[in-house]
This record gives sequence, C-alpha cells and structure tokens, in this order.
Amino acid sequence: MGKSGGLITNMIRTLRFHHGEITQQELADRVGVTRQTVNAIEANKYSPSLEVAFRIARVFGVPLDQVFQYDGDA
Amino acid sequence: MSFQEKSLWLLFVSLIGIFGCYFAVVIPAKAVDVMPWHIGLFIGLVVLLVLIQILGSIAVAIASKLSGSTAGRHDTDERDGLIGLKSTRNGSYVLAVGVFLSLSLALIIKGNFAFTHLLLGFWVLAQLVEIGSQLFLYRRSA
Repeated sequence: MGKSGGLITNMIRTLRFHHGEITQQELADRVGVTRQTVNAIEANKYSPSLEVAFRIARVFGVPLDQVFQYDGDA
Repeated sequence: MSFQEKSLWLLFVSLIGIFGCYFAVVIPAKAVDVMPWHIGLFIGLVVLLVLIQILGSIAVAIASKLSGSTAGRHDTDERDGLIGLKSTRNGSYVLAVGVFLSLSLALIIKGNFAFTHLLLGFWVLAQLVEIGSQLFLYRRSA
C-alpha cells in the first residue's frame, strides 16, 4: 500500500522542528489527511500520493525534493 | 489505536462471536435442507449483530472523544481508501473460492443445507479476511 520498500525517505520530522515544532496533527489538518497518515509518511511506512506530497511541501514552503528524496539507483 | 481500528476490531470480534454461535448450533444438526428454525436463528443473530455494532460504535466514539483521539478535522484520507481497496480485494478472493466450492458442492450433495452453509461460511470468512487485512495494513503502516 503505497509502500516504497524504504527507497523514498523524507525530512518531515526535521522540517516540523524548523517550523516551530508543529505537531503531526497540525500538519495533518493543514494537508488534509489524518494524523495517522502523517505519522506513517514520517516513519517511511507509507508513500503519499503526488498531490499530498506537494501539499506537505507547500505547508513548509519548500520545493518537493527538500521534503522527499528518492534513494533508488534507477 | 485510531477510531477506525477500534471499530474494525469490534466488527471482527462480533462477527466471530455471532457466526461462531450460529455455526456451533446449526452444523451439528446435520440437516439435509435448511429448516425454518435455522432461518429464525440466523435473523435473530443478525439483528443482535446490528445491535452490537450500533451500541459498540457509540461506545467507541464516546471513548475516542474522551481520549481526544478524534481531534483531527479529517476522519479518512487516501491511505484509508487504499487500505479499504486492498482489503476488499483480499476478501473478494476468498468469496470467489467460496462461491466456486459451494456450487461444486451443490452438484454433489443432496439438499440445500450444505450449499447454503458453505456459502455463508465463506462469506463470513471473506468478511473476516477483509477486516483482518485492514487491521494488518493499519498496523503495518501505523
């Protein structure tokens, strides 16, 4: 289920810290998902849709590749 | 544990309890055809299942409210949808096998008791697989 096998990593925890330590719930409310989904994304257990990924990047005011990184070879 | 997970556990346990009771009473009877009391028992237990679901859901909702675990503005999202789709797919495999086996059994065994109850059994199993899949996927990506 939207699982990347650990290839997609993210900086959400760090970005939350640098944005006034906003909670997972606050981020979830602003993105339009549940807190459980933010938690799963942050723990690299769920890869969000492109739309949600862009919304997360917009909340932090950074480009998408500063939030998500693809570590695959191809 | 989220509200969805608690509701799913409630449904999972009540399905096992209610249909476990039904099959424990009906199967030892070894009838050839479905008897009127089988239907009466089935309807009674389904009504009981619905009541358990309603009262249980109210209790889970109140408990979630009190613990503040429903504080978010969004109850479901794309992850819930994806989990639901994958779980429904898993359940449908079981149901398809059940339908095939039940139809095969109907050709072999006389009467409608075996056919009906094998089909019902597989429907319950399909529901349990679907709910179990949801619980597993919620836990795996929690």
